[in-house]
Amino acid sequence: MASATISSSNPSGLASSSPSLHRQAKEISTLNLSCQPLPPRRNLKLYTTTRRETPSTRSAKLTTRAFFWNKPKPSREAPKPTKVQELSVYEINERDRGSPAYLRLSQKAVNSLGDLVPFTNKLYSGDLQRRLGVTSGLCILIQHFPDKGGDRYEAIYSFYFGDYGHISVQGPYLTYQDTFLAVTGGSGIFEGVSGTVKLQQIVFPFKLFYTFYLKGIPNLPAELMGKPVPPSPGVEPSPAAKACEPHATAPNFTK
Amino acid sequence: MACSSSALRTISSSSAKLARSSGSASGSPPKTLLPFNLSTPFLPKLAAASPLSSSSRQSLSALPRRSFSCKSQANPAGDSTPGKVQELCVYEINERDRGSPAILKLSQKPVNSLGDLVPFSNKLYSGDLQKRVGITAGICILIQNKPEKKGDRYEAVFSFYFGDYGHIAVQGPYLTYEDTYLAVTGGSGIFEGATGQVKLQQLIFPFKLFYTFYLKGVKDLPAELLGKSVPPSPSVEPSPAAKACEPQATIANFTD
Repeated sequence: MASATISSSNPSGLASSSPSLHRQAKEISTLNLSCQPLPPRRNLKLYTTTRRETPSTRSAKLTTRAFFWNKPKPSREAPKPTKVQELSVYEINERDRGSPAYLRLSQKAVNSLGDLVPFTNKLYSGDLQRRLGVTSGLCILIQHFPDKGGDRYEAIYSFYFGDYGHISVQGPYLTYQDTFLAVTGGSGIFEGVSGTVKLQQIVFPFKLFYTFYLKGIPNLPAELMGKPVPPSPGVEPSPAAKACEPHATAPNFTK
Repeated sequence: MACSSSALRTISSSSAKLARSSGSASGSPPKTLLPFNLSTPFLPKLAAASPLSSSSRQSLSALPRRSFSCKSQANPAGDSTPGKVQELCVYEINERDRGSPAILKLSQKPVNSLGDLVPFSNKLYSGDLQKRVGITAGICILIQNKPEKKGDRYEAVFSFYFGDYGHIAVQGPYLTYEDTYLAVTGGSGIFEGATGQVKLQQLIFPFKLFYTFYLKGVKDLPAELLGKSVPPSPSVEPSPAAKACEPQATIANFTD
């Protein structure tokens, strides 16, 4: 992929790679509450309501349900109705993935509608202790704002979390201010997710901090939920995470 | 996605899209869609986003039983009554002042072919055409040219921006020769957690389009977006005040 000039007009996304996700059923089972392999996700939810490790409300519901009906039909609402979970991550361009690829298809000297910017960067947990995976997708330049010294992009991309799955998003990326994007869906532990994500640029276009507000999924694993490092230009992943040492990565973290 | 011929920056020769003169889309019904029944809470594909029905069809039969459980979690999305659909209408108009669309003939073929991309951005007005609300922005990916229909199939992925209210993200088919339904994939601001679909009707190809959103999972929409829509026809125009973006004819911080 053609490497682009990392000029001030480039968005954050940068790095080309082909992440290969090999979901290890065994490893996933250690993450899932019910020790079920990942593919039969439906069964997972079934077990979630019948096993411990769930809030007491679930078992109460189960009891009630078992009383009224013989089959413990899982309540879709109980495990994850409207509860919002916050997840923070850092996206960092370490300039070792050929990203972004600024395709100046408008053929104009100034950023214009028509320019496309595929990208991919590394993804770290909010506490910067673990390498999780990558981001990857496309920014479509919509408008250039000379007065603001920046651009509006429509960004369509995904966050990959190794064996945990991925989250897809779509929405505005303004190089000069924070925005909220829509969470359009996910896979793995993020299957069925909805919500929004706040994008904060720390160092344009190399470091970004995201706060996801996710609904509709089971409780996220503890290793993703460490206390986030407050965003500032000087933040750096831990050396172990940067080096992808086994204890400092998500299982089969996306490369 | 309204395309403008004069403001059009065709990176290479302009496509058959521009040569089309037919106005409103054909009256053929949207393909494949169920007869749209607003009272049906379960549109299979569209209900998938809600936790209620995600990943299991069993939830369809579980629904009536919810009322018996101890905690009746009545709101899968939390904000509106379950299954309540809100309709929102908007007009997308290409006023040819945004450099849109940008037809990228990456297929390098004289006829529209897979490989051509069309990023675009147009102005968005409320359904009653009294307020400028914002813009659309996204991309149409050309999939197939249909010579017998004198049109094309695109896969469209774009967003509708409503100023301070937030945005709605959509994805789905755009057929230049007939109306289609796209999926609402999400939103932000007041549209956070939105699911549903949106009907696209072309009035004047490719300058004027009329959209009807059928949204679920969002709080009641503000009145200023829900004014009585002007019935779609090729000659509709925004009010002069809205076009001029006079303060009383725009929503707060309308996207520009």
